[in-house]
This record gives sequence, structure tokens and C-alpha cells, in this order.
Amino acid sequence: MSKAASRVPGGGAAKDEAICPVCKSSRYLNPNMRFLVNPECYHKMCESCVDRIFSHGPAPCPIAGCKRTLRKAKFRTQTFEDLKVEREVDIRRRVARVLNKTEADFETLRDYNDYLETVEEITWNLILKIDVEATEKRLRLYEEAQKAERNITARPYQPDPSLPSEKAQVVLKKGASQRKAVATSAANTPDSRANPQDGEVEKGFNFHGLKKYVPPAPEKPLDPFDGWAIEPQFYVVQDDYDVEWLTQTKNDPVATAGGYDMRDFYSRALCDAFSGFGVFVEDEIEARAKGLSGDANTGTRSAATAALGGKDVNMDDVF
Amino acid sequence: MKLTEDDIYRTSTQYQHWTFTAAQLAAQRLQTNIQASERVRAAVARQRAPRSLKAENASASETERGESGANTPVLAVDREVNCLTVGEEKKLVDTFCKRALDLGDFLKLPIEVTATGVQYMRRFYLLNSPMTYDPQTISRSVIFIASKAEGHHLSVERYASSLPKTTPADILAPEYLITQALRFNYEVRHPFRGLKGGHLELMALAQGKPALLPTATQSAQELQTAMLALPRKPDGPATSMTVAELEKRITDAYGLASHILKTAALLTDAYFLYTPSHIWLSAHLLADEPLTLFYLSTKLPLSSPMHDKLLSTLRACSTLLSSHPISSHPLQTTASAEQQKKEKEEIGALLKKLRQCRDPDKIDLVKLNQAQKRDVTVRVEENGGEGLEESKAKRRKVARERAEREADEFWGPSLKRKDEEGSGGNLEKNGG
Repeated sequence: MSKAASRVPGGGAAKDEAICPVCKSSRYLNPNMRFLVNPECYHKMCESCVDRIFSHGPAPCPIAGCKRTLRKAKFRTQTFEDLKVEREVDIRRRVARVLNKTEADFETLRDYNDYLETVEEITWNLILKIDVEATEKRLRLYEEAQKAERNITARPYQPDPSLPSEKAQVVLKKGASQRKAVATSAANTPDSRANPQDGEVEKGFNFHGLKKYVPPAPEKPLDPFDGWAIEPQFYVVQDDYDVEWLTQTKNDPVATAGGYDMRDFYSRALCDAFSGFGVFVEDEIEARAKGLSGDANTGTRSAATAALGGKDVNMDDVF
Repeated sequence: MKLTEDDIYRTSTQYQHWTFTAAQLAAQRLQTNIQASERVRAAVARQRAPRSLKAENASASETERGESGANTPVLAVDREVNCLTVGEEKKLVDTFCKRALDLGDFLKLPIEVTATGVQYMRRFYLLNSPMTYDPQTISRSVIFIASKAEGHHLSVERYASSLPKTTPADILAPEYLITQALRFNYEVRHPFRGLKGGHLELMALAQGKPALLPTATQSAQELQTAMLALPRKPDGPATSMTVAELEKRITDAYGLASHILKTAALLTDAYFLYTPSHIWLSAHLLADEPLTLFYLSTKLPLSSPMHDKLLSTLRACSTLLSSHPISSHPLQTTASAEQQKKEKEEIGALLKKLRQCRDPDKIDLVKLNQAQKRDVTVRVEENGGEGLEESKAKRRKVARERAEREADEFWGPSLKRKDEEGSGGNLEKNGG
């Protein structure tokens, strides 16, 4: 009798943990036993049961009174000892993914606080299973609206699987009475917004004082030279030159295998050929000597000279 | 924000620090000469002071005894040091540049290395005088530095062993001195690659497939026809060459220009006075004038004001290049025997004169370099210069020891070595 009583869920926390409610095997027999939970219904069962029941595809939950279809992939070890907390955390995570505004997104603090209030209300509605249907729909709508606005490809909002939804009802073939109960509960709970506006119908939510989303400017293509470009005045580089003394290098695998490109040589040779073509030393150096040119280099040099007491650096006395 | 090839050249150190007008260059050489002469005279006077004092005493005692042989030392004191003039200095530097070039040939170094070395030498002697630093030593060291700067690495031992009576220390001693005189500007822009670029373009023009400038008025075909009809000599009759002949002509011009660049351009002041672009064009102008003028006309329309200016610059540069005796033409490189002999005598006399007016402080660069190093105790000698070095070294050593002691007081002594650790550790344990 006492043995039977100990198996009743909630009879004793320690014992309850040690025995799988499905196969009734205890940790005493299997020290490596792990318990898994599915976020559909949060019923605990041991790993071997999960393997046994769900290996061949989705199956209904083996716990008596729970008819939800579970999949093996969704099973996981629970994070919190209290399954209610586990569920609440899951719900909060899902809601926060959709309603993810920060204070900076609002015009005033007041608006932000109102928004937080709404978020909390929605979360608690979901946790307490009040008005679930409508809230889920609004969240989904809002997410879609956000996505359309920001043009991002994020994971779509997944409704809480532990709550009865349209899809779940189809699968589980819930009784009409239950459905009716849900509908009445939805009708009974007072909505946070008694008169949903037009925008709310389309977008799910309409927060007051939310700044308009400005998409960031598209990134410019990388310019490693910061806008500078070399534009030769006196030559145009060709792709190839037909000169005898180049043929050997052109066909030399030693040069080509290393990635040497003849065009580099062409452009460098031509750049060398004409760098200084239009520089007339007599004019330019004269001007530089007189300090007429506002050359930055001349400026720094004269500054350095001034700092050293009006003398050029004495370079010659190393010894 | 666009950069032209001229802007690129203006960013180079060669343009910023090592390009001068002819007047500036002359002024700089004069100033260097004056400074060096003053220094040499001062150093010689300082060196002679104690000796002359002795000599006077000796002569005084000798006059007491008799009059014989008293005149010689007094004469030596009075004689003013006969310093080199600017022209003689330049002549010497040119000679040793030529020798450096021969040295590069002898060691079979690539021309870039030798050319860079020669330019280092010219730059060095712009700020220093051969009277202060021996050109022979400097020329060897300079080639070694150039081999490093141009990425043609030689080990100093191998380099020194390939030279007569030279040790690695001789090569390394003036290295820092040279580097400093170069203002740490190792880059020398040579006209060699530019000449290759020009050659490529000329060949493309001859083959009738050039990439024309957007401002070009003539088509590639017209240019080729005009090129085939170019006269052989300036103002000569028009010719009609085949493409193959024209290509040969261009290649010949390239060879000749390249020879000029490898000799005359290095041994004159061309690098100081002109840009590499002007230098190779001038060399090409010397090699084949009609061809070069034609090439210029494809780059600049005759009507442009820059054309005349450029042409006068090129003419001046080519006059400078051809003024050098050795290289106006590869066939005429060997001047007449008589001329050579005269030249040799002249240089011999100059070297003799140089030996008379060397700066006595800077003769032994190796010793000076060592004295610069840590913990070197230079033996105190009679003359003042080295005694000064000695006291400097002592002062440095004392300062360093004091700094170490202070650091030890603050940070604690340095950690013990492993072999000493065992006993030290035990002692510490006992103490604690």
C-alpha cells in the first residue's frame, strides 16, 4: 500500500524524481537514467521510454489523460526543477523574440513603460492560458508586420505548443465542449485594449510613441584607398606586349606558378617611365626652396628645424 | 582625388630630399668643403699643439747647444694644411664612384645594387667631404648597404673576403655613419625600369597595336606609318623601313640608352638634377634622337607649352650625360692612351694631396665605431682625441652601473640562475 502511494505523482518529490512515470523503472535499477521533457505538454519521462515510444515517428503522449502528439526531436532535459518555471521561461523567450523593442525605440519613457506593461500582460495571458487564441494570432501578425517592415528572414513566431491551438485541436480531435470553453474564456477575459484600432487588426499591436523604423543605409563597397585612385596621364597599360625579351619570363612556370602577373610588371614599368615626366626640378625645387609652395612636407620640416633651435639636424657627427 | 604618376614621384624621398637645382647643389658642395676644411685645420692644429710645444723646447735646447737642424719642426707647425677644393673633391668622388661601379662589375652584382650604391656614395659626399671620410672605405661599405637595400643579400664575411685587405669590421664600421648621412632614405629611383617601359611602348607602336592616350589625334595605323618613315639621323632624309628593321632599331636604341644609364647617368649629377623619367628619355634621346622625339610627340602635342620645356630639359640632361668621358658611346669608352695616362696622373696627385689633408680624428673608423659601443676601454694615448673617447666610455659605464644599482634597490636583485637556485632556496627557507 505504501509502495503504491509513493508512486502517486506529488507523493514525494525525491521518489517521484527517481521513478519514470511511464515505465516505472527506478534509478536504483538504472543509475544512468535521465528524464526528458517535451515542451508540448511538459510531462516527464525517462530517456529509454522516449526512445521506445517515439523512435518511429510522432506518437501521443503516454501519460494518462494527455493526448498530445509528441515528436522525439523536441524532447530535452529540463533546465528548472519546477516545470511551471520551465514553461514560463519558454513563453517569455518566445514573446521576447517578437516584442523586442528597447527604450531607444520609443519617443518617451512613458511610452516605453506602457509598452513593457503590454508585453507583461501578454506574457501573463499566455502563462495563465487566458485568451490564448487571440494573443497568439496578434503576436503572429505583429511579427509578420515587423518582418515585412525590416525585410529580414528570421524564424517565424512559433505559438506555444503546450496551449491548445487550432492545429492541435485538429490533431487531437478535441471535444466541442472544450473548444467552447476556450472560446468563452476568451470572451470573458477583459482585453487590455477594449477597442482594437484598425492598425492593430493588421499588425497585431499598435504601440503608442514607437519611433518609425529607419532602415540602416546600405553599406558602401570597400574602398581600400579611401577615395584615392591612380590615374596615369601619359600612358595606357596594355594587357600584353609582344617583346622578345619578355617571352621567356611569360612562359616560365617558375614565374607563373608563384602567381606573378606580367601586367604588374607592365604597369610598374610604365609608371616608372613617366613618374616625374611633368616634374621640372628647376621650377619646383626653386619654389620649394623659397617656401612658396604650401607643401605640408616643407611645413613639417621647417617646424622641426625651428624646434631644434633654427638649425638643421646635425647628421654628420655620429662618432 | 586622383594621383598622377608625377604625384607618385613627388612623394618619394628622392624628390623630397635628394633633388636639387644646379645652384643649390654647388652651394651645398661649397658649404661641405668649407666646413670640412675648417675641421681638418682645427684637428691638425690640435694634434700639433703638444708636439710643437715639445719641438720648441727641443729647438730651444738645441739653439743653446748649436744651430743645427732646428728649422724642420718649426716649419711643419707653421705650414697651413693644404685642403682640397670643391672641384678636387668632386673629382675624387667621381673617381671612387667609378671604382665602386667597377667593384660591382667585379663582384657580378646586379646593376640596381651597384647603381644604388653609387648614388648612396654621391649622396653621402654631398654632406661629407672626402677629407673627413676616406672614399675608399666608404665606397666598399656603400655597396654592401646597397646590396641589403636592394634585396640582394651578401654575407659580410663573404663580401669582405672578396676584397683585398678588408675585414668585416672595416665594412661595418661606417655603416651607421652612411645611413645617417643618407637621412635613412634607402630608396633610390632608377631610370632602368622606366626605360624598359618606354621600350615596351615603342615596340607596341612599331607593331601598330599601341594603347593610345585618350587625347591622341592619330590612329595606330597612322603612327606606325609615320614611324616607319622616321629618318635615321636628325634632319636626315625620310626612310622606309620594314617593321622588323624598325624593331631592330628600337632594340639598338634601348641597348645604347641602357648603357648610358648604367654608366654616365650614375657618374654624373643626373640623379640630383633630373627625375628618372627625364634621365631615361635623355639617354634615349642620345641613343636615337628622331625616335625619341617621335615618341614624345605621341605623348605631348607639339603645341602644348610643356613640350618645349620638356625638350629643353631633356636636351640639358643629355648634354650632362654626354659630357661624361666614359660613356657617350660604348665604342668610344676607351679614351686615348695619352688621355688615360694624364687622367691617372691627375688622380694620383689628388690622392697624394688627400693623404696630406685627411682629418686625423676620423682616420680609424673601426676604432671610432668600437668606441661607440658598450664597455670599450680605449687605451689612453698622448693625443687628446682618444682620451676624450675614453672618458666618455668611463662616464657611460658609471652611469649604467648606477642605474642598475638603483633598479636593484627598487625591484630587488635579478633572479638567480638555475644552477645556483638549490642553495639559494634553502638559505631563504632557513631565513624565513
